[in-house]
Amino acid sequence: MAKSKAGLLQGTLDMLILKALSLGALHGYGIGQRIAQISGDELKIEEGSLYPGLYRLEQRGWVQSEWDVSDNNQRAKFYKLTRAGRKQLTLEERNWERLAGATMKALRAS
Amino acid sequence: MSRIRAAINFIRARLHHDEIAREVETELRFHIEMRTRANIEAGMAPSEARLAAQQSFGNFEQFKISCCEIKRGFPFDLKALRMGLYIAIACLAGGFALVAVNLPHHSFIGVIWQLAAIAVLMCSFLVGRRKQRQRH
Repeated sequence: MAKSKAGLLQGTLDMLILKALSLGALHGYGIGQRIAQISGDELKIEEGSLYPGLYRLEQRGWVQSEWDVSDNNQRAKFYKLTRAGRKQLTLEERNWERLAGATMKALRAS
Repeated sequence: MSRIRAAINFIRARLHHDEIAREVETELRFHIEMRTRANIEAGMAPSEARLAAQQSFGNFEQFKISCCEIKRGFPFDLKALRMGLYIAIACLAGGFALVAVNLPHHSFIGVIWQLAAIAVLMCSFLVGRRKQRQRH
């Protein structure tokens, strides 16, 4: 049976970007790849939408960026998580678990 | 530290529009380039690979504009700043009142200080009341 990829709920993209960066510094393309990898290729993201998300996170001080050279010798912007970003990720994970638990409880109610 | 960096980025984005737009474009083009390479490695023809990369990226111009706008946006929470401003006004008013009460009332400077304290207190009261009315 063909699996349909799930669209992202509003607000979860930021959390996924933070999660992807918690595993190490990456450029934008790498972040998209890592999200696909850690979600088992289940989450469908319009690739360009990553960037406004990344810029917002940088503006809030949760990630920081610097230009470097990629594996294929091209100039690329690499992002890494800041200490504030790590704290935010922990907070968002906790909120997400609570929300998911409450939703499951509601769905199982008879 | 990250907030300081955000403030520096904001000032840079305000002063160097074109440079920021070029940086954003380079970054987005790098993404499409990487996706194109991956598509070619997966067996697509180069032209087909580029087209597929552009399609999976979405609206390039729209994302570029969004990124530039975010870069130019104010990096701090305005609500928190406003709250800080109210607290600062309240502290200032308190300080003025304290100084005014302790000054001799018969001197000209003492009277000026008292008037200033009354004016600051009145302003903070009026601003606070207006905000409260707006909320209700």
